[in-house]
Amino acid sequence: MSTSPPAVDPIAELRARFEAVVMPHLDRLLAFAIRRTDSVADAEDAVQEACIRAWLGFADLRDEANARPWFYRILRTVLSDMREKSGRRQQLVYITRLEDAHEELVGGEHDALFSEVVSRLDGEAVHRGLRAIPEDFAAAVELHDIDGFKYVEIAEIVGVPIGTVMSRIARGRKLLAGAIMAERGGVAADARTTERRSAQGGPR
Amino acid sequence: MSDDRSSLANRAVSPSPEEAARESRHEVLRELLGAYADRELPPETVAQIDAHLVGCAECRHSLEVHHTLRARLAVEPPAAASPAFRARISAAIDAAPVPTAPRIAADARVTPGPRMLWLVASGWVVATVLALTLAVTSGSASRFTPSTRALAAPVHDVPLLGAVVDDYARVSRGDLPGRARDLDAVRAAVSFPVEPLRAPNLRLLAAWTTDVRGEPAAVLAYRLDDRLLVQYLVPEDVFFQHPAIRAAIADHHLLRAADGDRTVVAWPDSSTGNVLVGNVPTESLQSIWRSESTR
Repeated sequence: MSTSPPAVDPIAELRARFEAVVMPHLDRLLAFAIRRTDSVADAEDAVQEACIRAWLGFADLRDEANARPWFYRILRTVLSDMREKSGRRQQLVYITRLEDAHEELVGGEHDALFSEVVSRLDGEAVHRGLRAIPEDFAAAVELHDIDGFKYVEIAEIVGVPIGTVMSRIARGRKLLAGAIMAERGGVAADARTTERRSAQGGPR
Repeated sequence: MSDDRSSLANRAVSPSPEEAARESRHEVLRELLGAYADRELPPETVAQIDAHLVGCAECRHSLEVHHTLRARLAVEPPAAASPAFRARISAAIDAAPVPTAPRIAADARVTPGPRMLWLVASGWVVATVLALTLAVTSGSASRFTPSTRALAAPVHDVPLLGAVVDDYARVSRGDLPGRARDLDAVRAAVSFPVEPLRAPNLRLLAAWTTDVRGEPAAVLAYRLDDRLLVQYLVPEDVFFQHPAIRAAIADHHLLRAADGDRTVVAWPDSSTGNVLVGNVPTESLQSIWRSESTR
């Protein structure tokens, strides 16, 4: 009796590819979502929704080498939808205060001091700093410095020209430095807060 | 080495042309320091910044800030997705519909034959071509979409869908009641967000407002190749009124229905419900929905 090769199950095969291509990025995506939500539970909900959307659109992903930025783009859309639905607003320290703190930092011989301050920051302090600056800037900085994307990939994820990515990363790091120094100096505690500036209305 | 910017700052008089040019160059180059630190600049720009850094203490300090923050953020650890969370995601994906291409292949596998088996084994592209070929020859695409996902009841048993299908029939018989340029006016007229769909070969033709069962609705008409598609946007409380819609969305994130040659898909956004109607294969509408859901 002859034996025929086992039938290929296309769905199982696609699912296996999805697991192999997309799921390895889950930890990084969860961290990205945690920095943008009020709780781990909210972040997990966002990542779960992103996974479902990614699965539903997986057949449309032509180049699996682009799976990671593609997955981040979906997650950003989910997080944006969640923010819109919840009406959540980020509490921001005034931008000008952060810029002033940065100007003071680079205007003097404070390199060693800043380096020491940053080296002592724990994860919570880093998150507070990132949350104190506008989302567009924070996202660009995080996508590059934490998640390791190149500028061209960030442009694709965020949906802006590469020049805007360059500008957001440069300004985002300046504001983050200002936020770190402002908090160290107690400026943040006294600062008035304002609502998050949207991508359209916020500074570039 | 002297610092040209410090000397510049100490002068009370107007800067010389050379100093003004240097200051201007400083303003430009300091905006590029982040990309310089990240090695994202072309060599000629890098060379300009290298030269500028020699004489500019402020830019050297600023560059150090970039390096310091980048190094600190690079060691920020990822979160650890728990096994329970991973299991939850796996279960959620199990419960979700399967993406279209493999479903087509799976359906093709149900009626095996030597040619069909070869096509399945050849991959998704070939399977999709087969599905489209069969859709054309049979005059229907419904055999490629499992009946479990289609609305079991007639469209007119769900008042919202019935009203939309009837309106589509009326609209498609006559001149469209608006133009694409009316989109802003439509946005201003309704209390919910109105965003046109975006998908390959889909072009907005017209926008207008109407009422669906006494509630305000935004209507966007599109050209998909040579067919007319009409999207109805309604408030979410109107959208979720009928239990058949709620059940379909809860189970599949998408409702699919047909009324004669007209096919319908419906899905919710963050604050609105979308009903998309057209005289096209359901697969075309689902493809547009997928483009939206992954946007």
